[in-house]
Amino acid sequence: MNNILEKLKKIDRRIIYFLVFLSIIIPLLPGFDFLIFPVPPTKETRAIFDEVEKLNEGDVVFIDWAFDPSSKAELLPMFEAFFKHCMKKKVRVFIYYASINGINLGKESVKKMTALEEFSWCREGENYINMEYIPITADIRIFNMDVDFKGTYKKEGKIFEGVETLKDINYILGLSGSVYHQTHIDMQIRFNYKFGLAVTAVMGPDYVPFLQTGQLTGLANGLRGAAEYERLVSDKYENNYYGSATKGMSSLTFSHLVIFGFVIMGNIVYFMDKKKRG
Amino acid sequence: MKKEIPILLGLIAGILWYGEFFIAGMFQENQKLFFSNGMKIAGVVGVLVGVYSVARQNYYKIKNKNERYYAILRVSMILLMVFLGLKSGTSSGTPFSSMFMNVYVPFQATVFSLLAFYIASAAYRSFKAKSVESAVLLVASIIVMLSKIPLGGEMWGQIPVIGEWIMDAPSSAGRRAIIFGGYLGSITMMIRIFFGLERSHLSE
Repeated sequence: MNNILEKLKKIDRRIIYFLVFLSIIIPLLPGFDFLIFPVPPTKETRAIFDEVEKLNEGDVVFIDWAFDPSSKAELLPMFEAFFKHCMKKKVRVFIYYASINGINLGKESVKKMTALEEFSWCREGENYINMEYIPITADIRIFNMDVDFKGTYKKEGKIFEGVETLKDINYILGLSGSVYHQTHIDMQIRFNYKFGLAVTAVMGPDYVPFLQTGQLTGLANGLRGAAEYERLVSDKYENNYYGSATKGMSSLTFSHLVIFGFVIMGNIVYFMDKKKRG
Repeated sequence: MKKEIPILLGLIAGILWYGEFFIAGMFQENQKLFFSNGMKIAGVVGVLVGVYSVARQNYYKIKNKNERYYAILRVSMILLMVFLGLKSGTSSGTPFSSMFMNVYVPFQATVFSLLAFYIASAAYRSFKAKSVESAVLLVASIIVMLSKIPLGGEMWGQIPVIGEWIMDAPSSAGRRAIIFGGYLGSITMMIRIFFGLERSHLSE
């Protein structure tokens, strides 16, 4: 018994890494789709979905992309599900990149989405627009939005018809893995726009107070939030739409269980050791 | 005058911008445009300062044999990306975009994902109920963790409910207190900058 206790106390970290690796990788392998669990949508994520559902064809949605590839696993699925939803609703989508490292990731993602047969009718400058990046703060964009920042679509871009400032935008979704969107939340009080947020799971608790005050109309929290959104889009528009978030949730579930197991085991070892020493 | 003019500019711009937040229609659209264009220009100049700083840092590293090879590699990669961007643009399908998507994106995502492994190892070794406070933290974190996965609700139907309560009540209350403290500090700093009492942003 003492021998086992000593071994558990000094367990090699590579064993822990290996078990975590297996718990992440196995559910993602082909043939393991049976490990996908249904994710019931929370009211926070549903609130974003419902706001988009209220929009009419031609209304304007602004996506503020403020994440780089490090947060790709959690936020890219949310972007894809949200963009898909917007296109299904045929609203105009403005995508601004607040992170310079996110531009190409975003453009490739949009290209992938619009290459789908169901969205073959989508045209840049008409149905959606990549507004590029320029180093400015949120308040500046709020006051001046009559052109994309390369100036390409000022005149010929049909998407800009009737859109000059933030007042002409019906819904804003921020995607970030940092406190970047705090400015948007602060200014929401002043300009009263509808603002939803999709953040990495680690940032989620920081924004719950703003959800309670009504400054945020919705909050998609991490990979789970994205999986919930995928399910909402799936339930409303198409059956069996499983995006990368839904698949990733099975991986997340098992890695959580492994960490949970290690925490419990660590505590058992700690108390046994304490008892042994008296 | 080197100090007085920036302080005066800070005071005027601060009051105007602050006023706009509270008084609707304080500015005409063209006046707002003046500020927004000014901010864009300042932002672009800031990027140039950043480029100069990176070039200078790496120049000294290469010159002084201090981490020379890393600096050479870093500068080479920057120049390569600049070259590819200038040669064929940065749009989708270009060499720049391919480099970004196939090199930079996996690198950055990999570095961030390593956290999962460190967290698992650290949780096993350190996350122990050594006192009443740490026991409360341990139980709360396990409940929240289980409430975030679909299996949590399957284990016990109340886990998601308790997890949501922890996030909405105690966690949110603590966060709110931190926010209040932070904003009080910001307001104090703003007043100090307005009146020229705080000059650290002027390199003092």
